[in-house]
Amino acid sequence: MITAERKPLDEIIDYIKPFSRILLVGCNECVTVCAAGGRKEVGLLSSALQMAFMKEGKVLDVKELTLERQCDPEYVEELVPLIDQVDAVVSMACGCGVQEVAKRFKEKPVFPAVNTKFMGASERQGVWAERCQGCGDCVLGMTGGICPVARCSKRLLNGPCGGSSNGKCEINPEVDCAWQLIWDRLKSLGIEKTYEEIVPAKDWRTSRDGGPRKIIREDLA
Amino acid sequence: MSFQKQLSSGEFVVLAEMNTPKGVDISEMVTNARKIKERVDGAIIPDMDNGVMRMSALAGGVLMRQQGIEPIIHVYGRDRNRMAIQGDLLAAHVLGIQNLLVVHGEEMSYGDHVDAKPVDDLDELGIIRAIQSLQEGVDMAGFDLKGSPNFTVGCMIKPFADDTALDQELEKAQGKISAGAQFVIFPPVFDLERLSAFVQKAKSLGVPIISTVFLLKTVGIARYMATYEPGVFISEDLIKRLRRAPDREMEGVILAGETIKALRELCQGVRIVTLGWEHRLPAILDYAGL
Repeated sequence: MITAERKPLDEIIDYIKPFSRILLVGCNECVTVCAAGGRKEVGLLSSALQMAFMKEGKVLDVKELTLERQCDPEYVEELVPLIDQVDAVVSMACGCGVQEVAKRFKEKPVFPAVNTKFMGASERQGVWAERCQGCGDCVLGMTGGICPVARCSKRLLNGPCGGSSNGKCEINPEVDCAWQLIWDRLKSLGIEKTYEEIVPAKDWRTSRDGGPRKIIREDLA
Repeated sequence: MSFQKQLSSGEFVVLAEMNTPKGVDISEMVTNARKIKERVDGAIIPDMDNGVMRMSALAGGVLMRQQGIEPIIHVYGRDRNRMAIQGDLLAAHVLGIQNLLVVHGEEMSYGDHVDAKPVDDLDELGIIRAIQSLQEGVDMAGFDLKGSPNFTVGCMIKPFADDTALDQELEKAQGKISAGAQFVIFPPVFDLERLSAFVQKAKSLGVPIISTVFLLKTVGIARYMATYEPGVFISEDLIKRLRRAPDREMEGVILAGETIKALRELCQGVRIVTLGWEHRLPAILDYAGL
């Protein structure tokens, strides 16, 4: 999933200070799962913003709506009946959702209420960790299902480096050394030989480094 | 007189672009440099120009100094992060390089290492600000330097096809000048009447303007540029002149020389770009009367 964290309240208030009527839009997908921008968080933020305005002697009218998906134009259309009743939109979706709303309603200012963080997985209740950087040329088949691009601090393709100690990364004792994980996994699968293969310099064109990416499926488009 | 002093005294400067080799054989570069020593005021050393991996401009600049030519080296952000850029700038100063030209690196996909990972940590404005900070004795992280460098810094005006595009470029250049750029380099414009109008407009920048003279090596290149780079204003008449010339290669050289002569009246300097034909620089300078 795409993970996110809510922005500090003061930053959101700074965005909407000039307005008195806002539409606060949540998303029922990734940001709901990581408890950053789902229906519940929309309710909480709405109350917090209204209280902050009241403390300043102002009134903030907040309309709340949580869409099934904000990154899909079909669902963004559901905002149409509300958009004329507000001065600005605050989106609690990831960056994709914010941009879809901004694209659809060109005349309205749209502000993000969360910081989009990474593509990750849930490690345990309340803990999410990065797993994929979307490099566009998956190497998991060679690395025992553990991604060195996303999980090695140096993105080494022929690791580990000298900073691996007792299975942990030198940047932080809380961070696993991806290459230790890869080695342990290859060993348990009985394919340690794979580790000896030298991985050539990666072709980064498939990653964001080749410019903004697009997928066109001729069979669906 | 140094390039910096010539600029500030308003003298016309002649700069030749000298590409570094793709490899370690520097003989051609050194030979070409020796032939133009005393005839130019400085050599501009591109760094991985057009996204092609070559010997770095830092080494090229040092080589030029060894030949007695004052270097102006390219600095750009595509291949280096702020650590590497700052470190190389300190190295450049220590190695006697006093002039920098902050440029935009060509897209990786246009070069010869298309699969490389671009860095793009700092844009041109960010680099100029970093240079200013180093000159003030502080690095980008706010730490004091033990000895600060000193540079003359220039920036580029990208090709523009009309007044609107020029206005945008001038606005960007103004930002770079406010950040510390001390001269600007104009792209090649073959229509001198138009160039004159453009330069007049750009005088509002308040810094010396150096124009580019681009050697047209072949009719094909001229036609390509006329078609795909409208900002160069290559006319059909000019293409005809090249095509009908008994020695087309020499005609390009003569044209470059004539353009340099004409530019003396228009701006404060010229950058001669030959894209690998640096051996033609002496002939171009002959026809320019330099």
